[in-house]
Amino acid sequence: MEKMEILEGSMAVAVAVKACKPGVISAYPISPQTHIVEALAKMVADGELNSQYVLSDSEFSAASIVYGASAAGVRSYTASSSQGLLLMTEVIYNAAGTRLPMVLTGVNRAISAPISIQVDHQDTLSLRDSGLIQFYVESAQEAYDMHIQAFRIAEDPEVLLPVMICMDGWVLTHSYEPVELIPQKAVDAFLPSYRPVHCLDPEHPLTFGSYAEDDVLMELKYMIQGAMEKAKERIGVVASDFQRITGHPDAGLIEAYGTERAEVILVGMGSLVGTMKEAVDAMRSDGIPVGLVKVRCYRPFPAEAILEICRSASAVAVLDRGFSMGSEGPLSLDVKAALCNLERPRIFSFIAGLAGREITTETIQKITAETMEAAKSRRVVRGSQWVDLNRSIL
Amino acid sequence: MAPTKDEQELFAPGHRACPGCGEAIATRWILKATGANVIIVSPTGCLETFSSPYMFSPWRVPWVHPLFENGAAVASGIEAALRYKGRSDIRVVVIGGDGATFDIGMGGLSGMFERGHPVPYICYDNEAYMNTGVQRCSSTPLFASTTTQPAGRKSWGKDRPKKNMPAIAMAHDIDYVATASASYPKDLHDKVERALTMEGPSYIQVHTPCCTGWGFPPEKTIEIGRLAVNTGLAPLFEMEAGEVTSVHRIAKKVPVKEYLMAQSRFKHLMGSEEGRKEVEKIQRVADRNIERLGLL
Amino acid sequence: MRTSIGAVVEGGTSLNYKTGNWREFRPVFVAGIAPCRESCPAGIDIARFIREVKSQQFDRAWQTIVEENPFPSVCGRVCSHPCEEACNRKEFDEPLAINSLERFVGDHGLKNAMMVAAPKAERRERVAIVGSGPAGLSCAYHLRRLGYGVKVLERSPSAGGILRWGIPEYRLPGTILDGEIERLSRIGIEIEPRVSLGTEFLADGLKDFSAIFLALGAQRELGLGIPGENSPGVVSGLDFLRGVNEGRPAELGKRVVVIGGGNTAIDVARTALRLGSRSTLIYRRTRKEMPAIPSEVEETRKEGVEIQFLASPVGITAQKGQGLRLECLRNRMGKSGPDGRRRPVPIEGSNFSIESDTIVVAIGAVVDPQGLTQFPQWTEAGIAVDEWGSTGLPGIFAGGDFTPGPRTVSHAIGSGKKAALAIDAFINGRDKDHAKSVFLGNRGSLSMEDWIQPSPMVGRSDRVIAYQDLNRLYFEPRPREGMPQIPNGAGRIASFDEVNLGFSGEIAIQEAERCFACGTCSLCENCYTFCPDGSLWREDPHEPFEIDYEFCKGCGICAHECPSRFIEMVREEK
Repeated sequence: MEKMEILEGSMAVAVAVKACKPGVISAYPISPQTHIVEALAKMVADGELNSQYVLSDSEFSAASIVYGASAAGVRSYTASSSQGLLLMTEVIYNAAGTRLPMVLTGVNRAISAPISIQVDHQDTLSLRDSGLIQFYVESAQEAYDMHIQAFRIAEDPEVLLPVMICMDGWVLTHSYEPVELIPQKAVDAFLPSYRPVHCLDPEHPLTFGSYAEDDVLMELKYMIQGAMEKAKERIGVVASDFQRITGHPDAGLIEAYGTERAEVILVGMGSLVGTMKEAVDAMRSDGIPVGLVKVRCYRPFPAEAILEICRSASAVAVLDRGFSMGSEGPLSLDVKAALCNLERPRIFSFIAGLAGREITTETIQKITAETMEAAKSRRVVRGSQWVDLNRSIL
Repeated sequence: MAPTKDEQELFAPGHRACPGCGEAIATRWILKATGANVIIVSPTGCLETFSSPYMFSPWRVPWVHPLFENGAAVASGIEAALRYKGRSDIRVVVIGGDGATFDIGMGGLSGMFERGHPVPYICYDNEAYMNTGVQRCSSTPLFASTTTQPAGRKSWGKDRPKKNMPAIAMAHDIDYVATASASYPKDLHDKVERALTMEGPSYIQVHTPCCTGWGFPPEKTIEIGRLAVNTGLAPLFEMEAGEVTSVHRIAKKVPVKEYLMAQSRFKHLMGSEEGRKEVEKIQRVADRNIERLGLL
Repeated sequence: MRTSIGAVVEGGTSLNYKTGNWREFRPVFVAGIAPCRESCPAGIDIARFIREVKSQQFDRAWQTIVEENPFPSVCGRVCSHPCEEACNRKEFDEPLAINSLERFVGDHGLKNAMMVAAPKAERRERVAIVGSGPAGLSCAYHLRRLGYGVKVLERSPSAGGILRWGIPEYRLPGTILDGEIERLSRIGIEIEPRVSLGTEFLADGLKDFSAIFLALGAQRELGLGIPGENSPGVVSGLDFLRGVNEGRPAELGKRVVVIGGGNTAIDVARTALRLGSRSTLIYRRTRKEMPAIPSEVEETRKEGVEIQFLASPVGITAQKGQGLRLECLRNRMGKSGPDGRRRPVPIEGSNFSIESDTIVVAIGAVVDPQGLTQFPQWTEAGIAVDEWGSTGLPGIFAGGDFTPGPRTVSHAIGSGKKAALAIDAFINGRDKDHAKSVFLGNRGSLSMEDWIQPSPMVGRSDRVIAYQDLNRLYFEPRPREGMPQIPNGAGRIASFDEVNLGFSGEIAIQEAERCFACGTCSLCENCYTFCPDGSLWREDPHEPFEIDYEFCKGCGICAHECPSRFIEMVREEK
């Protein structure tokens, strides 16, 4: 029935995308996204994948090509990273505003300057205002599962937004993990052909991209937010459908790990969560009442779910792998916003692992201890703490 | 060719172009050549702005305005999608302004040419960023005054020659490159038809006089465009496989001065000895075109 | 109104935004007067019929012509075409071959047995027309169309007047004339031939008829006033042509000299050739001053008539048994006379003579009063009338060659038409000057169509379109189409077959395409082509456009680019 294969993370994504039969794929190479798009290219070259594979001249063009294909009513896919995602930004806003579904893989990588090809979340986080739905995956399996769901979420008539699956560059894309593959028949049953709500078609001429005046613009933007809100529910429906058809678990907008009766709750995203889970296991076995919330869906932000889990804790420690310069870690800002009207818990923001700096279980434990201490002493901690900073080179 | 009231202009009235707009004339005739089985892509610009106020669209064909710099790229995606669906009978045509084409969208255009999509890219050239208020573009001709490079006590206006986009297009070895003019709409129409027969990309640059930006009364749009052609400053030609295949011969050559003095964007050149010298430089541009293309 | 997902909207919705209210000036079609029409005594809407030929609507072109002139096939052969002199295209390259196009359309009508419409309503009044020449028949035609009963009284055995007996077969075949006259009978015009009337008819006739139109023509040849002009062998040109027409041509002998420079003189000279004689024509002035139609003069010369200019006859002497000798003097051109034409001045001692068997005098026709001396203003030039043909005697009107004026077929047709309007006014007790509103320009042309049913569609202006008014950039020089003919030579003059063969449809259309359509629409479609707002439309592809004022922004491009000056920009009333 289900096939278990050891796959490079990038290949798992490529296999997932192939199973979803996109009509148009376009991408521009940037490390560490390259293995995904190379794998897809080989599938096309060997006739295994019947997509129009358009080699673009830039990421801007790649996103535009996918935008155009989606507007023409065809399922489309792209992938990028870091600088490339920034270059795609204008198009992603455009797609969200025009309510066109598209799926992209955001292979997380730091942003210049200084240039680095190592992982952090700055690139995908910087798209958080755009109307793009974002999932952060922890493993190759999750990447595989979420890409398949991404198409359905994007194409849902009540959503109609671009969807990005964020996966940590190198860590997930270039390492091999066991992945349980879903038979094509099941994928087909789960993901029927794309039926656009609106598209460019001479049979029914429509105008896309009008300019709107102030008498209507707020409402149009409000509708995007409305779709985002609705997406929370639709994501759940898609996930339970996915579980029903494929047997793979419905993980929801967040995953709560060991949060029953936790005093301190850690919050994180991406592959980092794997390390955090190990640390939590170790701490709990030492009797430390710590738990973990893995944010799977970052946009729309699962404020209600986080509120539900965290309200009974006394402290929350958010680990950000990116930073909003001049403010705080973006994830912590979202968590603080979700919990701001509660008297407890106290929320502490930590910045760790930028540009690939390793985060160990010791680090997590240290963070947890600090958090517990600060919560007890009712010490006021403003802003984010940059973890393991080497002050001697500052 | 003229429709009855029941037959519809594919570019319907009620759009908000300035009275006398050269682009509007060109667009009507482009759509007569494409017919209804087409998808039009227009990057940001005059045409896009005056044709898409929310809820009032003159486009009786499917039309998309994406962004400013990605007309060609979006068209490529649409074309790929149609090819995927087995509907390559539906043509994709870009109608974009000189700003979007010569400058900000040039990279994407180059990509589309290089990949060989069967998309005619039609650039309506009013020689500045007109939509945002007549700012200078690489398409602006020598010594024209624009708001970001105005004529003044220390300036004659644009100090660089007009970028030769048709040559750039041709350097991509695409199937068909042509220039046209809003003052010769049937010629434009025929060139669009020709472009649609090509298996790969084509580029047509349409000179579209702009009464608002160039400074002349709106009823003279056609006359000004004709003058531009008959001076040699806006030569009309076709090229295939790197060779010129046709030119519009000038019956009677017009000195550039006659063309320049009819527009206020050049008025700073008139009425002084120094100005006259600068006009001679423009005359040389025209003469070079005439000689190179054999227009007389 | 709910907002749409992604701000995606239906195409074509701009039709809800009426850009017409942006206008400060609106374009209006205003028909100016084409100079050809102004100069046409028959008042034909020439630009329109040519446009209809151009768009291959020959039937409609025919209807357009017969709205004003019932004889397109006749006029298309014999008219002196002042329209071509006035044609604006003359200044561009060559004038339009309007006359040939009229003939083409007329012949199309004959070939297809096209009929004019019978009057919509019958009136009880009847009008008598005396004389069935072009003036009489034109008056009859227009009166009949106004609903009157019309009776034409003709002295000769057949109708047509000078068209019948004064113009040779090779210019105007009798069958053509028959065809065009027959059409008049079909709408109820009674034509009674072989009728002799005395002067008492003027009084008695008004008992049976509400009005009388006298169109007796100019029947008498002007005399030379030289010794020997009554010798045998000296004949009048008009008599000679009538004799030929009635099948009893005069015996000419081998040598014929024709004196005169008008159409009659050259008709005689060419007829003489066809009867086997050698023709010489002498005229006292130069070729430039010849009143005959220049193209006809050219044919005369081509066929081999020897023309001697600047020669006047001074005496005729009969040679015993050997014909006549015509003594002449040579002239030189002197100063202009009271009529503006330069006078020939005889050169002393330049006498020469020509031997001839027959001398034909064709220097002009005068009116024979035929006893109608109660018209106090009668002269040799004819009965004096006002511009409408009114003689001053109540109910009595006159026109054509019977009154002073240019002795041309088209003038006669025009005078018959004016008289018809004057008679209509008279019968209804209206002031005839009220018909001035249908005059076009300043040369006497008027529009019957406007009189019967003025069209409100298009604005009218009194402006006669001059060459400077036109936008000529849209025209390419192209020579005028030539009339196909029987090739010149022995074959042509061996018979009375019609020399001019007429345009084919293709040639007619090509020639029609040269027309500038001054003051009207040439179907060039410039307005439609150049409109930025697509605000011109029409139901009928052969008609001018209509303007969609809901959307027209008044940019003025259409007016500026109209080659024919048919569009004016008028300030919008607020």
